[in-house]
Amino acid sequence: MLAARTIWISIMVGALLLAGSVGSAQAQSPTNQELLDKMKAMEQRIQTLEGQLEQQKKAAPVPVPVPAATPAAAPATAPGTQPLAQTSPPASAAAPSKDIFGILPSPINGLKLGAYGEVKFGTQQNPDHNGQWQTGFDMARFVLLPTFQFTDSIIFNSEIEFEHAGSGFDEDDKLHGTAEVEQLYVDFKVSPYFNIRSPGIDLVPIGYINQHHEPTLFYSVNRPELANRLVPTTWAAPSFGVYGKIVDDLSYQFQVSSSLEDFGSGFDARTSGNSPAPFPTGYAPGISGLDGLEFARPPRGDFAQLSNDLAYTFRLNYTPPFIPGLAGSTSVYFTPNTTPRDAYSDTGLPLHHSSLTLLDSEFRYRLPGTGFEARGEYVQVFFGSPKNLRANNDSNPANNVGRTMYGLSAEVAYHFPIGTYLGSAWEAVPFYRYTYEDLQTSGFQGSDVNAPTGAGKLQFHTVGVAVYPTPQLVLKLTYEKVLDQQHGGAKSDSVLGGLGFFFY
Amino acid sequence: MSWVRWAAPPAIVISIAAPAHAFRYLSVEQAQKLAFPDATRFVEAHVIFTPSDVAGIERRSGQKVRARGQQVWRALTDDRLVGFFVVDYVIGKHLVIDYAVALDPSGRVGHVEILEYRESYGGEISNRSWLSQFVGKTSRDPLELDQDIRNISGATLSSRHVTEGVKRILALYETCLR
Repeated sequence: MLAARTIWISIMVGALLLAGSVGSAQAQSPTNQELLDKMKAMEQRIQTLEGQLEQQKKAAPVPVPVPAATPAAAPATAPGTQPLAQTSPPASAAAPSKDIFGILPSPINGLKLGAYGEVKFGTQQNPDHNGQWQTGFDMARFVLLPTFQFTDSIIFNSEIEFEHAGSGFDEDDKLHGTAEVEQLYVDFKVSPYFNIRSPGIDLVPIGYINQHHEPTLFYSVNRPELANRLVPTTWAAPSFGVYGKIVDDLSYQFQVSSSLEDFGSGFDARTSGNSPAPFPTGYAPGISGLDGLEFARPPRGDFAQLSNDLAYTFRLNYTPPFIPGLAGSTSVYFTPNTTPRDAYSDTGLPLHHSSLTLLDSEFRYRLPGTGFEARGEYVQVFFGSPKNLRANNDSNPANNVGRTMYGLSAEVAYHFPIGTYLGSAWEAVPFYRYTYEDLQTSGFQGSDVNAPTGAGKLQFHTVGVAVYPTPQLVLKLTYEKVLDQQHGGAKSDSVLGGLGFFFY
Repeated sequence: MSWVRWAAPPAIVISIAAPAHAFRYLSVEQAQKLAFPDATRFVEAHVIFTPSDVAGIERRSGQKVRARGQQVWRALTDDRLVGFFVVDYVIGKHLVIDYAVALDPSGRVGHVEILEYRESYGGEISNRSWLSQFVGKTSRDPLELDQDIRNISGATLSSRHVTEGVKRILALYETCLR
């Protein structure tokens, strides 16, 4: 190693001398300033190498990454740049030069592994136990994010998610969660204006939280309420699509995905023919006036989708330059049909097609130079034929659905620096969010008796504080008051603490 | 015919992507010309860090120095120094962002350009309205997201890491170039 370094230094000095002689022979001679610059750079480099040699003499030999560009390699130069005989690596941003000038390569070249997760704990009312306050804990999710770069323009992305501490077979494990592939696709980056997302599993591009749901990006312990029932996050679906920018500050995404399906039972209630268990077994609705679209997401595996229908989503993202600090999006999702094949009502009649259109518009605003932040969102779902929805034909008069569902939310927050502790600058973000949801509007049609209890008309007051020791780590405390119009109220209030992290 | 709906996307992907080259917003040479249109030459002045350089840059920027050197060019108009052109790399969310910073001889930012962006989200950082915020910044400015540099919601990590990178390059100027 020592000999190699010595040889390298000798070659560099030789190259410098050679450069001087070649340069003097050229018509356009280097200026004195350039020669001084070169001398300075060479001097600095030699000092560095001498320092490294000294360190190696003192320490036991350890492998040192060898610079990709050797003195023998002719440096690439920009057009119009006079060739220099210094031993710099290539001027272009070629990958090998990143060994010296950039980020060190991964042990598996091209592979990156990030992760995020959230832990929740505290006390909450259980509406299924007459609103009793119950204390508990949830290792809500731990997500691994493998990313692989086939080339600079062909990128593999994925998320492997463990929810509620994972799943287990043995009784003593007491695990009732999931281990799932939440995202998996390859991006073909053709140009800033047109990129192709391969067939795979991707997030449906609706709203903000569905695509950006790392716990450091929102302030409540649980995700915002609109991202539960009206936008059923994490809404991942078999899909493919394209995306890119239209002009600066305006971009688009178009996605074709497996349709939402009006089927809320488990896999054991499906037949091998990919239809609901036959009449009169019955099955749960995927779309209901109590749970919104929460149980309507399509399956992602085993060719188990209950219809051939595809959904289409178009989204625009904007960051209008005339309002600095404002970002927003508007998206529309349309599926011609959510009814599973061979669907039926509890009266034995077949249920026919019903389309679904979902509109979402949201904004996020940070007043420049201050800690003030505001967010707002509006979501509305339209059903083409409510008489064909299972919830209106399942003998349950309380979960019926009208022609539409909608919800809105408004949130204010303020970012306060609270000092430097344990080597980082901490920030506290108190916030308040109001949410209104109406999952049971008028326009009911179907075979059920229509007798909703008022449980589908909800208001949420959510207040709390999120403390960020670093931007990648958050500690949360949230109180939520839930109001609805049924007798006795929603009985779903909560006081929760949380820990969230995201590293990469 | 439903098979057509599923078979068409891969066919489109293959047919379009096959002739596609690795995309970059700008090459180094293009970015140099954009930053210094009047420059007649760009002379390599790459820096290999000494331990004291690393300590100086980290102290001034508050950022960890993870590279062993920096790609720097001196922009010359005839023989007059008109500025420095620096190429740097930061991680966005998962992947490397290649970008360049042009400084005038007094260490004031004249230009920031994204050279290559690989992430699936966050490409908004290449918008001119966001990059122009860096123009005129010096090492005396805070260069903090949500203070003097606006965050792009939805591109938070890329915004933060490019901001940190520019701050580190201004510290490099104070430590190694001025």
